[in-house]
This record gives sequence, structure tokens and C-alpha cells, in this order.
Amino acid sequence: MFFSSQRPRTDEFEAVAMPHMNDIYRAAARMLGDGTGAGDVVQDVYLQAWKSFNQFELGTNCRAWLFKILFHTLHHYRRKWLNLRMVKEGDEILEQTPAAGPPLPEHITDEALLAALAEIPQDFRAVVMLVDVEEFSYKEAAGILNVPIGTIMSRISRARRLLREKLADVAQSYGIGLTNQEGSKSA
Amino acid sequence: MNRIQFGEGACEKTRKYLDSYISNELLVETNHEVLRHLESCPSCAAEADARTQLRSRLKSAVNAEPAPPELQVLVRDKIRNTRSNSWFAATWIPWAAATAAAVVLSVGLWVNHRAGNLPALTDRSAQNTYIQKVSATIAGVFRLGLGDHLHCSIFRKYPKNPPAPEKMEADLGPNYKGLLPVVHRAVPEGYRVIMAHQCSYLGRPYVHLTFEKDGALLSLVVAHKKDGESLGGTSQSASPSGVPIYQVAAQSYQVAGFEAGEFLAYVVSDQHAATNLELASTLAPGVRAFLIKAAG
Repeated sequence: MFFSSQRPRTDEFEAVAMPHMNDIYRAAARMLGDGTGAGDVVQDVYLQAWKSFNQFELGTNCRAWLFKILFHTLHHYRRKWLNLRMVKEGDEILEQTPAAGPPLPEHITDEALLAALAEIPQDFRAVVMLVDVEEFSYKEAAGILNVPIGTIMSRISRARRLLREKLADVAQSYGIGLTNQEGSKSA
Repeated sequence: MNRIQFGEGACEKTRKYLDSYISNELLVETNHEVLRHLESCPSCAAEADARTQLRSRLKSAVNAEPAPPELQVLVRDKIRNTRSNSWFAATWIPWAAATAAAVVLSVGLWVNHRAGNLPALTDRSAQNTYIQKVSATIAGVFRLGLGDHLHCSIFRKYPKNPPAPEKMEADLGPNYKGLLPVVHRAVPEGYRVIMAHQCSYLGRPYVHLTFEKDGALLSLVVAHKKDGESLGGTSQSASPSGVPIYQVAAQSYQVAGFEAGEFLAYVVSDQHAATNLELASTLAPGVRAFLIKAAG
């Protein structure tokens, strides 16, 4: 009886939390810009998750819970090591974002896509990662990032447009063709 | 829920809802209106297609990058260390104040069974089952080293005070008499040899050296190759000093293997993947040279 009430639920943690490690790692790597430091962040996320696992209710969304811890950890990581100004950076670019996005280049490489993702502001990148890559609902993404759903909606829209602009720049610099009816404009 | 009817200005309204449509976030009625418009408007359909493609390509590009294989081991190690330091202290030590003697006994048992869920020291059948279970996820050529490490170093009741070096060298037999000094010179400072012998597990003979540092055990296990056994078909982890080393993880254990002429050699521990690989890299050149000479 002494043990059962206080022992951390090792088997449960192993079953519900560990399978999401690849997703957490990839999100950490992209939020940091590349893989550097992502492994350390993942270790911190899982350690934090383990320490508070007694507060996690089985049957609820463990993946969303881990992502919430990830973004909380990243927030402190950036403040401590990178000193990034997330919100202001995003707001400045918001004002410059045009109403319509350019067409998507053909034959674009994964490397170019990831480079374009790394160039958009952190707040927008976070929403793209959660909604487009991890396929969380707007409500779940709002819960993870602790922002209103309306913020998720506006950020995903602008993030997608920004990505296409970045990719169009890459396409133009390499003479890569563009899709749809505007393709003939490219070299 | 109000039904949205686009009518006039349908393109503008469609594009307003397009991102939520792609994210599958629209109400059924609005979704239907967007779909109806896309069927009749090539321009908006192309825009929707571009956004959908971007989403799909981005997901594919991000998911193409796997997490480092050692990350799971590092995370489990970190959690295990925390469990033994903070949780253990928070739950057991206060209780120990009232029942010190019982706790001392319990701590001793816990330390001896730190790998978790270990069978009783006297239950040989359960030990074999445990070894098979732990080894189940790794290739057979790696199970040799891990199995003998678990059999001898984890379950065997080796003496509290190691025998004299002369006794251990004698236990290794004449062919391997010089192996102990070679290994001892290569292991980092702080490790002490606690066992060196020839042994047998599941009918196969091994040469086995075990070192200890701060309660952590490290084995060097050597076996003759049989039936074309080779590590070459597995993924190489390091190649310091020209000796290819192949490492796999099995639960909390790391098994680093290298070939030495007619022999397969393994460095096995429950330390971090990088630490075990570094230890194997340090040991491999000397051990390999010794074994090739011994076979010649």
C-alpha cells in the first residue's frame, strides 16, 4: 500500500509517452532551426513529463500534453540561451504579409522546404508545426500554445503565405518553375 | 450554426475560408459551400491545391528526419537517474528514519536489481526468460555478448572482494592469460576488475571480464565465431583506430561489438550509449590485436 499510492507509473509512462519521442524531437529540431540542441530539449521535456506524470490523467491526450511541455521548455530555452523576441518579430512581419501567396514551386527539395520553414518567425513556425505537420486541431494547438483559437487561425494563414513567399524566392534564385497557370512566368 | 451561402463575391469568401478548409476545421455546411465553389472555379481550386501541396510536402520533409537512435536510451537513463535520486529519496528516505535496518536491506536489493524487474538471484529459469526478453529486439549476433553479460555480471554472485589478479589470469586459461593486463591498461581510471574467467552460457563458451566503477558494471565478452557469424551486416557506429564498432541498445543495456579475426568481442554496460561506445573504442585496438595474435 505504501508503494502503490506514490510510485511513479513507469509502465504507463513507457506506454503512453515514449512512442511520441520522434514527433517531439522533430518539432524541437525545427523550432530550433536544426537538430542542434534538439536532443537536449527532448531529454528535458521527458524528464519534466516524468516528474509531473502523476498529474497526467490516463485516457487524455498524452501527445498534446507532451507538446505543451515542449513549447514551454522551448520558451525557457530560448529566453535562456538565444534571447529571441518571438512575438514582436512575428508582428513586424505580419504587417508586411501580402494578401495572396505566390504559387508553389515545382521540384522543390525537402532541404529548401525546411530552410524556408526555418526562416519564418517562431510563433508562425510553431503553428505550422502543430497544425500542418502534427495535424493537431486548432483547438488543441491553441491549448498547447496557450493562445486563443483566433490567433491560431490568423497565424496558420499567414505562416502558409510566408512559406510560399520564401519558397518562391528560392525558386526564382534557382530558376525553378512554378506550378499552376503562373508557371510560365518563371525562367 | 449558421449556414454560409457564398453567392456574390464567392472567390473572396472562399479564400477567406481556404486555410480552415485545408485544416479540416470548417463546419459541415461551410465546407460544402467551399467545395461547391472549388468545383466551378479553376483559380480558387488551383489556390487550394497549392496550399494543400505545401502542407503535404512540408509534413513529408519534416517527418523524413528521424530522431537519433540513442535518444531513447538517453531519455530513459535521465529518468532512471532522477528516479533513483529524487523520487527514491523523497519516498524511501523519510520512511527509513523510522525503520532504518529494513531500508538498508531494501536499498541493497534495489541496487543489485537496478535494471528493473530482475528475477530472483536463485531463479535460473526466470533469469533465462529475462535475458531472452531483454535480447528480443536485437540481432542474434549481439545477443551473445548481452546474454553472457547478464548471465555472469548481473546474476552471478561474484565475490565481494575480487580474487587476486594471478587467480583471475589463471581462470582465463593459458591462451588468454595476457588479455587481462591489455584490457586493464585500456579501461579508464576508476574501473576495477572484479571478475575474469572462461564461462559457458546456453552451451557456448566465452571469455568474460567484468569491471566495476561506482556500482556500474562493464563487461568485455569474447566468443569464437561460428557458422559465418559476422557483425558486418549491421549498422556501423564508429571506427576509431580503424576497428569498425557496431552498437545496439536493448532496453537499458548497450552492446558494442567488434570483430577480431576468428573472434567476436563485445563491450556491454548499462551506461549512456556514447559512454559505452567510447569505452568500446578505447578497448578495441588492444583487444583485437591480442586476440588475433592469440589465434595465430
